[in-house]
Amino acid sequence: MGLFDAFKKKEMEIGSPLKGKCVSIKEVSDPTFSEEILGKGVAVIPEDGKVCAPADGVITTMFPTGHAVGMTASGGAELLVHVGLDTVALKGDGFKIIAKEGQKVKKGDLLMEVDLEKVKAAGYDVITPVIICNSDEYSDIKGLIDKDVNPGDTVIEIQK
Amino acid sequence: MQEFSYTIKDELGIHARPAGLLVKQASPFKSVISVDTGTKKADAKKIMALMGAGVKKGMTVTVSAEGPDEGEAIEALKKFFEENL
Repeated sequence: MGLFDAFKKKEMEIGSPLKGKCVSIKEVSDPTFSEEILGKGVAVIPEDGKVCAPADGVITTMFPTGHAVGMTASGGAELLVHVGLDTVALKGDGFKIIAKEGQKVKKGDLLMEVDLEKVKAAGYDVITPVIICNSDEYSDIKGLIDKDVNPGDTVIEIQK
Repeated sequence: MQEFSYTIKDELGIHARPAGLLVKQASPFKSVISVDTGTKKADAKKIMALMGAGVKKGMTVTVSAEGPDEGEAIEALKKFFEENL
């Protein structure tokens, strides 16, 4: 660790939205995510369909299909949780929306519920990218990958 | 300022992937670029704003650019909308 690293303050910790395994974003087969077009982040291979808020903040975008949710965390980070790949095409089938747009949430609050078996049976990959959409505003975004996680366990550390 | 109107033909509208691609198209330009649905106006360089605009099939949006390279920006975005949305 360099001298200055000791003074660097961790700006914020982003929690896992799901129970499962946190992996590198590079493992996502959709280039929209793996090439970081939407921003930097990690992905969670879910084992349970309860999708929870990754941080304290406000829900900015709840897709009417319930397959993805955007929120602005209290520190200003814009987070996207995208459940599965191409799941927009399911048009809400298998997804239950709990939280509303504009709603204030605490880390760990239930945002939506996904029937993972149903989504898998329909032929979709359920891997769930967790993205910092305004990645450019941070000097460092570190994914804590290759570990089993529960909702709320830190999966990303960001620094201004 | 330059602008154009476009009616969305894509079945799924502007969801995560097209929002990301659109930001990628818009970001290199210096001009301020926005997508206006009539009810919500989004900065075309902000993924979260674009996704939050809720652009769906059948909606007509106005894309505008204002700045030193507005002509090129509008040309590139028009092409993007026609090819992707």
